[in-house]
Amino acid sequence: MNIVQLRKLSYDEVCRCNRCGFCLPSCPVYAVEQRESASPRGRNAITRAVIEGRVGWSRDIERSIFSCLGCGACTAACFPSVGTRDVVMGDRACLAGEGLQPETADRLARSIGKSHNISEEDNEERGDWREILRDVPDDAFEKDAAEVVYFVGCVASFFPMAQKIPVSMSRIMERAGVDFTILAGEERCCGYPLIGAGVPEHVEAHRAHNLRKVQEVGAKAVVFTCPSCYHSWKASYDAEVELLSAPEFLERLIQEKRLPLKELRATVTYHDPCDLGRQSGVFEPPRNVLQAIPGLRLKELPNNRQMSVCCGGGGNVEMVNPELSGRVAQMKIEEIRSTGADMVVSSCQQCLRTMLTRARREKVPLVAKDLTELVMEALEGETS
Amino acid sequence: MDRKPWIEQIEEIVGPDHILTSDMDRILYGYDASLAKGKADAVVLPGDTDEVSRVMALAHRERIPVIARGSGTNLSGGTVPARGGVVIHLSRMNRILEIDLPNRTATVEPGVITLDLQNRLLRDGFVYAPDPASQKVSTLGGNLGENSGGPHCLKYGVTTNHVLGAEVVLSDGTVMWTGGKTHDSAGYDLTGLLVGSEGTLGVVTCMILRILRAPEAVKTMLAVYDSIEDAGNTVSAVIAEGIVPATLEMMDRVVMQAVEASVQAGYPLDAAAVLIIELDGMVDGMERQAQKIQAICRRHHVREIRTARDDAERAKLWAGRKGAFGAITRLKPSYMVGDGTVPRTRLPGVLKRVLETGEKYGLLIGNVFHAGDGNLHPLILFDERVEGELERVKAASSEILKICAEAGGTISGEHGIGLEKLEEMHFVFSEGDLAVMRQVKKAFDPKGLLNPGKVVP
Ligand SMILES: Cc1cc2nc3c(=O)[nH]c(=O)nc-3n(C[C@H](O)[C@H](O)[C@H](O)COP(=O)(O)OP(=O)(O)OC[C@H]3O[C@@H](n4cnc5c(N)ncnc54)[C@H](O)[C@@H]3O)c2cc1C
Repeated sequence: MNIVQLRKLSYDEVCRCNRCGFCLPSCPVYAVEQRESASPRGRNAITRAVIEGRVGWSRDIERSIFSCLGCGACTAACFPSVGTRDVVMGDRACLAGEGLQPETADRLARSIGKSHNISEEDNEERGDWREILRDVPDDAFEKDAAEVVYFVGCVASFFPMAQKIPVSMSRIMERAGVDFTILAGEERCCGYPLIGAGVPEHVEAHRAHNLRKVQEVGAKAVVFTCPSCYHSWKASYDAEVELLSAPEFLERLIQEKRLPLKELRATVTYHDPCDLGRQSGVFEPPRNVLQAIPGLRLKELPNNRQMSVCCGGGGNVEMVNPELSGRVAQMKIEEIRSTGADMVVSSCQQCLRTMLTRARREKVPLVAKDLTELVMEALEGETS
Repeated sequence: MDRKPWIEQIEEIVGPDHILTSDMDRILYGYDASLAKGKADAVVLPGDTDEVSRVMALAHRERIPVIARGSGTNLSGGTVPARGGVVIHLSRMNRILEIDLPNRTATVEPGVITLDLQNRLLRDGFVYAPDPASQKVSTLGGNLGENSGGPHCLKYGVTTNHVLGAEVVLSDGTVMWTGGKTHDSAGYDLTGLLVGSEGTLGVVTCMILRILRAPEAVKTMLAVYDSIEDAGNTVSAVIAEGIVPATLEMMDRVVMQAVEASVQAGYPLDAAAVLIIELDGMVDGMERQAQKIQAICRRHHVREIRTARDDAERAKLWAGRKGAFGAITRLKPSYMVGDGTVPRTRLPGVLKRVLETGEKYGLLIGNVFHAGDGNLHPLILFDERVEGELERVKAASSEILKICAEAGGTISGEHGIGLEKLEEMHFVFSEGDLAVMRQVKKAFDPKGLLNPGKVVP
């Protein structure tokens, strides 16, 4: 992208920012860094100054723009509802056009281009999480035709810490008698991290491939345990099939009485992932699923739903600036601990990974589980 | 920019992470919530009083302007570096140092967010009364700088009535204390002088604030009117009856439309104006007082009175009011907000003339304000990017302040003078008055380095 295109995309938007500053306290990055360049108001002002030719792109601007978590809390707090997240993504595309993107973002984009996933591993290994399920064949859950495609996503496919999620989800669906398939080696990155890396033009190839695969299977629905994949499909895929996040799908299975949940005695709090809650409007389904588990008590976080605070794992910040991401995660952990709950439940592999990594590093006891894990436990009647 | 030698010296004081000099940062500290713009030479993020003092001593030696900054939400250009210089952003000095319940005081650093202190106090059943609509982002240092008010200041008074003492760094770096924990202090009331001085007399690094017990009960009503005049007359009548509600806020149709598009506060979009009337205090007698107010409203042709049934409904009514300035850019990208204050009895007449001024200049004006205090906030809407509009807006804004001054009022209720209301100081002060103010400034800041170009023309 160049400045002419950026002006078209963002100028009116940033001019609606009247600098009232109401976004400042909602921005986790500002809370940590406490300087204007780390605030949504600052990012809008930078964009405006660049468009108006008052300042040129620079490494300082790159740091500010690539430190945005894309969590959207600023827009939720903004009375004229300025879409700073999209403004920032436009800026990133421009910075990348100038060759000013961070080294890590560039590497990520190149790696996705080559291996079709964010991990630099061979994409054929996408289905390797099935090895955890000792009693199934190597090609388990792969079918030529199915009603539902389960889109696993890169993080849950490749990162051991998150592989419990597809393990739980596939078992739950099996238990409920869902006719589903995974795409295994034929699943490709949804493209979302490419937008964050400043190369949105690279998304199309991935989109087309994934859509074609879903079509080949003849599925009526795609189910996601990753809220970012889900949001990405919903926002830009133009899919003709139903798209469901795991919490929505689980809620439906429970309503249809296909999941006999046993008692779990625990008090949990729920963390709304940004891409599921604020970006996609899915707030109640995960709560309804939790409430359906007998014996489980839900204690809300002080900042919940629209006001939920990002875990620190959004916007590729975890790769570009792990230190910053960790400090945001620390705030999140403190908020979670203030509830006194036994554990935090979320519906996002990235949130869990970010929070647990920080907790481990700081040696704070934190139990964090994905909603699918908890539902699996309730199906088996384990006590947590 | 060529790297000035003093930058390295500041670096030694605060550490390299806490001084910003990039072109980007200098622009980012060049604005606030007003329309004014400037460019800083450097930005410093000090961690304690000693660092502030050393930076200011250096600035004094080098004759560099110093601009104190909280969250930069003031509406008059108060933090815009009109003549360059060093912006001292106090965001890192954000600790609540002590809450002393028996003595009813809170001691805080200036970077504490107003609402953070209020939420903390509420846990013990206490309040810090001044509640600017921007309280969730404004700092207590900024509140002090502007002598900020808010809806509840009708009953409880503005910031100056709640600051008991302050630690202040003077222009040469000297650190001194004014006032203290007691409610009276001997000698000149320098605390009173500092409050509202917009960073032109010193930089405050610690504040002792007065705190109050939270009221036992609260009742919030929304009175809906088909004419602005009826709403205005209700305000004067309530006060004339000797009733002092906790708040008496007014909003007109233009503002309600912008607000409703942002948060569904439930304001009636076909009404001409609404009043938010809140009572607080003891449960005993509250109902009687509410009925008295409702009777006055009815005498002035109120269309409907709604009462918030619970905290959630009350919060909704207030969310709309507090976001009104921000929401207004749903209608037009820029706004200039006036801050004139008039005697309450003159409100209906002045309001009419404000709207006429808008028509004369062909500008849309929305009104949202602290009616009980007679403190008007006409919001003039426009698009900064359209050539010539800003000049027209400034002319209209100035004319409105003149109307306020002529009605026996003044040109600022709570947003300060900063850069934007400088010329209008002449509407309310004689040359002699201004000369005295200049002498006060000179006594504190002989070199004219503290937030230069502000407050006194
Ligand atoms: C949407 C909106 C609603 C608002 N509503 C209200 C309202 O209801 N009532 C009201 O009164 N105002 C209101 N304001 C104006 C503004 O929020 C207040 O003036 C507020 O007190 C500014 O706080 P701040 O931390 O942003 O200060 P800043 O804007 O950063 O600074 C304000 C002034 O104080 C000085 N200053 C800051 N810190 C110090 C310090 N430590 N020592 C000495 N001087 C210092 C600065 O130099 C400057 O002159 C509103 C603004 C907006 C955008």
